[in-house]
Amino acid sequence: MSETAREPDARQLATEARDRVRFEEEALALSDQVYRVARHLVGSREEAEDLMQETYARAFRSWRSFTPGTNLRAWLLRILTNLNIDRGRKQQRTPDTQPLEEGDYFLYNKLEASGDGPSDADRVVERLSQNDVVGALSEVPHDFRDVVVLVDIGDFTYADAAQILDIPIGTVMSRLHRGRRILKQAMAESAVGGEEA
Amino acid sequence: MTAYDPCAHCEEMMQPYMDRTITDAERAEAETHLNGCTYCRKRYRFEEKLRQFVRQAVQEPMPVELKTKLAGLRTPLQ
Repeated sequence: MSETAREPDARQLATEARDRVRFEEEALALSDQVYRVARHLVGSREEAEDLMQETYARAFRSWRSFTPGTNLRAWLLRILTNLNIDRGRKQQRTPDTQPLEEGDYFLYNKLEASGDGPSDADRVVERLSQNDVVGALSEVPHDFRDVVVLVDIGDFTYADAAQILDIPIGTVMSRLHRGRRILKQAMAESAVGGEEA
Repeated sequence: MTAYDPCAHCEEMMQPYMDRTITDAERAEAETHLNGCTYCRKRYRFEEKLRQFVRQAVQEPMPVELKTKLAGLRTPLQ
């Protein structure tokens, strides 16, 4: 093969290597944000760590399928949620027997009633502990939790969440709405207790 | 037929209001109600605070070792 024929190949390889390095650096720079979401999509820290490693291994292998200029964080989360499903997480159906969740004022009403006398909204929030929130989030059924975690913790738009989970935007909105109410109900039970007198 | 309850309606509007997914007219309607209703205003304020609190409460920094492991998955330079 002549020098002139080899030269473009060498240039192409160099360009590709540079693009790949750039991709890997950008993906790694997002790892904290990806982990923040991953940690609450699965039950334990160990699972989240395994999932992160599988996700990054796959992302680095298939970096060419990422379209530059699109949302890399959403692309990584799409891989992660697919792997999570592949790992055996059952696609949960909404149980028919699930009780209708309480309204959006429920948590405030419960917390306010549990305190001594009237207090402002800022003080009422302080009646919740970090454990109340973390525990309650883990109790929200997967389908609802995924959306709450992506939108309220991961700061994804409805459109990104829909793309990541491969569901319609309308489903994202309805699951988010119900998921937040279920979360608030679980927080109320954790902070105040069940239906005590 | 049940009577229209403006506070119940305001409760229903809370999430779309906070998420800014309502029309300007619906927003104006909610704000008119909120301006005159301490009951709902307190609960909207609580919701704002709650969202911030939830976001902070679930923060768990990524373990440093994991970050090292992820970096180790990179393609070796030729």
